[in-house]
Amino acid sequence: MSALRNVAIVGFAQLPVVGRDAHRMSTEMLYPVVREALKQVGVERDAIDYQVSASADYMDGRPFGFVAALDVMGSWPPRQDLHLEMDGSFATYYAWLRMQTGEVDTAIVCGHGKTSEGEPERVLNLQLDPYYQAPLGLTPTATAALQASAYQARTGATDADFAAVAARNRTAGARNPDNQVREAATADGLRHTSWAVEPLRRGYLPPVGESATCLVLAAAGRAETLCDKPVWIHGVDHRTEMQSIGARDLSRSPGAALAAQKAYAMAGLGSARDVDLVELLATNPAQELIVCEALGLDGHASKPVINPSGGALCGDPVMSTGLIRLGEVFRQLSGRAADRAVPGARRAIAHAAQGHCLQQNIVWVLGSERRWT
Amino acid sequence: MDEPPKEPVKYIDAEVRLPYHYVAGDYRARYLRALKDKKILGSKCSRTGKVFVMPVVASPESFAPCDELVEISHRGTVTTFCVVNIPVIGRTLEIPYVAASVALDGADISIFALVQECKAEDVRMGMRVEAVWKPDGERHGDHEDIQYFRPTGEPDAPLDSFIHRL
Amino acid sequence: MNASAAVSSLTNIRLVNYPSALMSEHTVAPTAPMFAETTMEFPYKHSTGETIGRFLAGLRDQRRIWGQRVAGQGVVVPPLGYSEATGAEGGEWVAVASSGVVTAVAIVHEAVEGLHPARAPFAFVLVKLDGADTALPHVVTGGLERLRIGTRVEAVWKPDGERIGSIRDIAGFRPID
Repeated sequence: MSALRNVAIVGFAQLPVVGRDAHRMSTEMLYPVVREALKQVGVERDAIDYQVSASADYMDGRPFGFVAALDVMGSWPPRQDLHLEMDGSFATYYAWLRMQTGEVDTAIVCGHGKTSEGEPERVLNLQLDPYYQAPLGLTPTATAALQASAYQARTGATDADFAAVAARNRTAGARNPDNQVREAATADGLRHTSWAVEPLRRGYLPPVGESATCLVLAAAGRAETLCDKPVWIHGVDHRTEMQSIGARDLSRSPGAALAAQKAYAMAGLGSARDVDLVELLATNPAQELIVCEALGLDGHASKPVINPSGGALCGDPVMSTGLIRLGEVFRQLSGRAADRAVPGARRAIAHAAQGHCLQQNIVWVLGSERRWT
Repeated sequence: MDEPPKEPVKYIDAEVRLPYHYVAGDYRARYLRALKDKKILGSKCSRTGKVFVMPVVASPESFAPCDELVEISHRGTVTTFCVVNIPVIGRTLEIPYVAASVALDGADISIFALVQECKAEDVRMGMRVEAVWKPDGERHGDHEDIQYFRPTGEPDAPLDSFIHRL
Repeated sequence: MNASAAVSSLTNIRLVNYPSALMSEHTVAPTAPMFAETTMEFPYKHSTGETIGRFLAGLRDQRRIWGQRVAGQGVVVPPLGYSEATGAEGGEWVAVASSGVVTAVAIVHEAVEGLHPARAPFAFVLVKLDGADTALPHVVTGGLERLRIGTRVEAVWKPDGERIGSIRDIAGFRPID
């Protein structure tokens, strides 16, 4: 394939994920994070050509509420701006895409929203069609459980398998000060938590959490002036699947698989096993195993390291969770991952998903070197 | 039967019901609580000195923090306004009523306010108004502590004193 | 670092945390938290269109479950009028049985009040009705101990006069032995 423009992540800031910040509105959480991200790369706001934000008005309980974020992203003089009602990882795609046109050289991508203000189980019921699925009262934990059930039926995966995946994330997550859940857990201990929706136990599911995040992107030529170790985007693709959960094979993620195939091809990556770490977005262990399979990874192998951050289980601020996966890859590959660093990491995969049963997936391949020369 | 009925069901009813638990945040909490003491607070931009009411964490214009809270006058000038003839769901307001953008003395951002105790046709740009509060003991520290604004009787503010606040 | 309500590390319940250290010192001093509660309520009347409308009429008037043969998917139940796989327009109507096989089971132990269709424990299921190529999401409230993937279930209909043209005209499914 022909060369694309080299674009890198040059900065990332986030608030630690908390259950509920009782002292700040969503925009008041975002403001210091944008300031911090700009401070990291050492520029004023007018050095940033494009801004994209990611939030969900239904989660926020404010129609058109997302525009409030403009006030804290430095939107004056009038900026080029985009908003997605999707997780920040998908918003990053649009920033990357715009940079490919050459019209902008730098961008910030912000994730925001106080998940504690709404009730995600109720709100996300409305993601389903209003005729056949929403009226049943299907909630995201229930559809996730249907998916986990289908996965168990096809693969024979057991409760113990799920517990092991959750425990691995919890153990890694204890080393990440930005997580909401920072205590390690054993598989045995998690297996003794109560059922939420069988076959998913409470211990396999993240608590409600909120945060604010800001990722800084820059094209080659600018990136090197903003960061000592830019983390270059090698490949990206995203795919969406059918809306009707009964029409899908829930035990698999063809969307993640196809996105991975395309992203790897763009990146010149032969196999997922050639990277050093993977940060994937899975809000329960069945999802993690399904995504691993789609990405071409063995969910139980020790290399590449999967979710050294602890993953979404340890902190799921919903609209920022995927952006944090990109941020964590940036931290790992730019030497900013502290105690949870994967030694010598030079290539990584970041994944994000949204919608019921992994309906939408995005896969990124990133590395310490430029992809195209 | 080899097909479902020819006549489709035309609609389905869906009742969306979503509870929300908002956090006011320290800025809004301080502003609202101050109303109980008949104080209107704004926050001041650390770079330009502009005062925003209600108080905000950062200036949308300068992007600088607005960490200083300042008290704003209860008096101000009607900048733009409209006369509303349509009832508002959820409020009992006599029709017609006047909704105005009031530039309070000491603030750089105007607030929306009801203008009462005068005829709607008497309201004009430049008219000087003041807040009318609920009596002591009846204020709770919420946005209803200011009932409305009424004319002060002062001479109208000259246009050039508020033209930049429209 | 966050101070948090004491919580077992093994359970994930909604935590109310004190705020983390602020990244910027430039902010007003913290004050006692203030909250507000609101419930948004919207009544919607969703237009169904020809396909969904006739499917629902089939439930209400005929006690019959209909599918549609579409490109790339086979017999789709419940039908949308087009193929989600190819976008092609839906084809002929195909009646499917009111019974079939469970392909996924999710047993709810913590019901969401006012949203979930029954008290816990109950199950959401995917049911592949005989004759269909896609599965129908629905509900099982009784016989949970017999419910597994592979169990055969049959529709339980709401009585005549109580069916209104809704997917809930099927009250649920029950295991049959």
